[in-house]
Amino acid sequence: MKKLFRPYLSAFLLGSLLVSATACKDSDDPEPLDDEELITTMTVTLVPEGKGGTVIATFTDPDGDGGAAPTIETMALKPNTTYNATITIADDSPNGAGDITSEIRTEGNDHELFWVANPSNLLTAQKIDKDANNRPLGLAATVTTTNAGSGTLTITLKHQPGLKGATSDANKGETDIMAAFPVSIQE
Amino acid sequence: MTLALLSVYVPQVLAQMLPAPALIDISQDCGLTISGKTLDHDSREVLIGATVYIPELDRAAVSDAYGNYHFHQLCQGSYTLRVTYIGYQQEDFPVKLTGSTARNLQLHADAKTLSTVEITGAHLKEQAQSQQTLEGRELEQTRGLALAETLKGIAGVTTLQTGPNISKPVIHGLHSNRVLLLNNGVRQEGQQWGSEHAPEIDPFVASEMRVIKGAAGVRYGADAIGGVIIVEPKPLRSVPGISGDLHLLGSTNNRQLATSAMVEGNLSKVPPLSWRLQGTLKKAGNATTPDYYLENTGLREQNFSAALGYNKEQFGAEVFFSQFNTKLGILKESHIGNLTDLLGAIARGKPSNADNVAFTYDISRPYQDVHHNLLKAKGFWQLGNAGKLEFVYGWQRNMRQEYDIQRSSPTKPSLQLILNTHTTETVFAHKPLGRFTGSVGVSSIYQRNVYEYSAFLPYFTGTTVGAFAIERWQKDRLQLEAGLRYDYKHLLVKRLENDRELQKPEYDFNNVSGTIGAMYDVGYHLTFGLSATSAWRAPGANELFSQGVHHSAATYEEGDSTLTSEQAYNFELSTDYYGNLRLNGTLSLYHNYISNFIYLAPQAEPRLTTRGAYPAFKYTQADATLTGADLSLNYTFVPGLKLESKTSVLYARNLDTDDYLVYMPSNRFDNSLHYDFGKIGEGSKVTDAYVSVGGVYVAEQKRVPTKSEQDYAPAPAGYFLLTAKAGTTVHFGRQPVEISVTGNNLLNTVYREYLNKLRYFADEPGRLIMFHIRVPFNFSKS
Repeated sequence: MKKLFRPYLSAFLLGSLLVSATACKDSDDPEPLDDEELITTMTVTLVPEGKGGTVIATFTDPDGDGGAAPTIETMALKPNTTYNATITIADDSPNGAGDITSEIRTEGNDHELFWVANPSNLLTAQKIDKDANNRPLGLAATVTTTNAGSGTLTITLKHQPGLKGATSDANKGETDIMAAFPVSIQE
Repeated sequence: MTLALLSVYVPQVLAQMLPAPALIDISQDCGLTISGKTLDHDSREVLIGATVYIPELDRAAVSDAYGNYHFHQLCQGSYTLRVTYIGYQQEDFPVKLTGSTARNLQLHADAKTLSTVEITGAHLKEQAQSQQTLEGRELEQTRGLALAETLKGIAGVTTLQTGPNISKPVIHGLHSNRVLLLNNGVRQEGQQWGSEHAPEIDPFVASEMRVIKGAAGVRYGADAIGGVIIVEPKPLRSVPGISGDLHLLGSTNNRQLATSAMVEGNLSKVPPLSWRLQGTLKKAGNATTPDYYLENTGLREQNFSAALGYNKEQFGAEVFFSQFNTKLGILKESHIGNLTDLLGAIARGKPSNADNVAFTYDISRPYQDVHHNLLKAKGFWQLGNAGKLEFVYGWQRNMRQEYDIQRSSPTKPSLQLILNTHTTETVFAHKPLGRFTGSVGVSSIYQRNVYEYSAFLPYFTGTTVGAFAIERWQKDRLQLEAGLRYDYKHLLVKRLENDRELQKPEYDFNNVSGTIGAMYDVGYHLTFGLSATSAWRAPGANELFSQGVHHSAATYEEGDSTLTSEQAYNFELSTDYYGNLRLNGTLSLYHNYISNFIYLAPQAEPRLTTRGAYPAFKYTQADATLTGADLSLNYTFVPGLKLESKTSVLYARNLDTDDYLVYMPSNRFDNSLHYDFGKIGEGSKVTDAYVSVGGVYVAEQKRVPTKSEQDYAPAPAGYFLLTAKAGTTVHFGRQPVEISVTGNNLLNTVYREYLNKLRYFADEPGRLIMFHIRVPFNFSKS
């Protein structure tokens, strides 16, 4: 009987050896991640033509998905004013890369920002910058207001690798960041 | 054969041991006949030349070349039919004769003479619970398909897909970590929780695939709530010589090319020593729907395995190693940002880039890269008269890398998971004690998961130990079985809260699984089975702690760290009508009650992220029932021409919300007509030719949740697919070559399947014709 169990024993010992060999690494704990793809923050800077103060609105969620909800600032604009608007995009997470606007501009052929006002007569936004293929990019725009009112301005950065055509299409591709800024237009 | 001739066959030794002739008045008018077939109980093959002896009359008959036996001129009364056949246990069948009757006699293979055969061999009806086996030509016809697609031919088994190249088996509506896969005797441990994580098994390794439908926790351990899939290679070669086979496959549509080769041998100098080497290469490009190519849906696969065995009658050992490597492209369109993107894709009706996509074998992001290694060591010992002891150790290393579309173009994956698993199982099968047969066993699982690049699934270490006992009792036509199992699972999770603060929650789960079953052979080729089985499953680390966006589904999924185990109770009634000349079939009615069924429940508030709003889902528990029926029928019109018909119906309810469960397979009907040409002429070079034409109709899933919005698009319409198969064996001298052609979706139907996760984005592939050549070879000296 003893003899019979000998191979069993050696197989078992071999098995437990392998178990302990991998078990050694058990003390390893997960390390904080370095997510190079994270985008946490969109800042819109609106400089009025003529008189008036510069408006800055920020949408940010520095702890990423989940956890605390994103914070978003209201754009307080004046009626009948034309603004030169520019956007900066950043990763402001603890180990984040900071400002990545230039990266997006470099890869402009695969990206486009879409500016959508709701209600649609709240303001007009005209994209003024182009990518290397001379198609709209949308990091800069001219924003024109008319009457007083309130609503939202949703700015969406789309990743459209190989999908960007001659005409803009907000439905294509993948959303990288989407911010719906409350807008208040009054004197 | 005449009776006069048969009497010659009465063994002398039996004749001498005969009791005195029974007291039956032989002068009365007796003109009754009893006849039937002698059959192998498990394979249902006829046994030619079996001796059937009636001690009461001292008369004997020998079954003829078709397995038929006859007794004529019998009187009314009670008799015993004693059947003997070499390699089988002698068995007595009592009969009460009141009129002429037909009775098939089934013999059980003698355990002693078959001791070197693995106990995992195919026993068609060993348990009361439904199980079905795919082997031989039926399995050969599926070569080239993924594992889950291979099993689709079994009633009650469907697939859960993510595009054309990722599929998982679904048994009676359950899948992923509720279906246990037993690969070569070792339970498969990959990241099987994911609906887009296909099993890491090369189907070319298998010579047999068996599906146990319904909870089967006792023998196979926790998690087997939906069922068990057993993938078995054929036993190693036991006769000296070298043999093997070579498969060559090619298909239209995704232009798949595949080859698989196997060589095995047995050493004439060391007869117990056998070996086998096997490898598979596979490559496919973009699949195409009837209207457009599906961008980035190619696949690559490279697998190999090696086995070495040393087997003697009293003991044996075997070492097996296999490696599975695959790269799977994922439909580019399906990688989306948020709910708005998803609704945009659904409204568009076809991928935005569909008209510009051409055929290519290239795979770009998003794709999956998966590597799975299995090392198995097995030993068995015949412990004299006590029984047989078997030990199996398995080590698996699963590495899964997922590459998403990224803004910059780095080379690193977006997610990497490495899971190491060690399993052991020790089973002792005792020799039959009176009318009892059975086995006891202990098993253990130790596994450890680590991640990189994404913390969707935490670090965890799981330890499971279990013990079970199963006994069967058989007398005459009745078989009873009962089994009990206890499992304990410890789970240690390590995770960083907010990517900073290390937390180490620990969990303990333990539970009991049981099974009781009864089988009754009514006679007249009819068997009834009744079974009640149970299984439980501890919540997985993903269900406890996953947190984040699920890209292709555009959902925000959140785990619940307070989940408890789910427990399934499965009841099944089955009838088997078999061994008949024309009509044969199996009907199975089942009811699976699962308490604390874990599922993703939609939350009222969407989750806002920087990429926009996502519908939020949280892992929640509710009681659920899955009730259904599987019907398989075949009807032989004339020898060679056969109609096969399969029907599956399932009703799945969430009892807490009083609503249907989401993502359950709809009703399906599969019918096909087969014709076997048999041998064409004497000494023909062409044999085993067959053709078959069939169609599967899949109904629209009307049983979808209505009380809570759980789906973004309505279930797609029902569809019908036409299929055809033809094949033959051509003999070039002594070398046979098997050739077959299979056609799927021959009408090039445009359709979408409810259980395909990519149905929101694109149609299913169109017509596909697959060519298969198999060349078996044998270098035995004979």
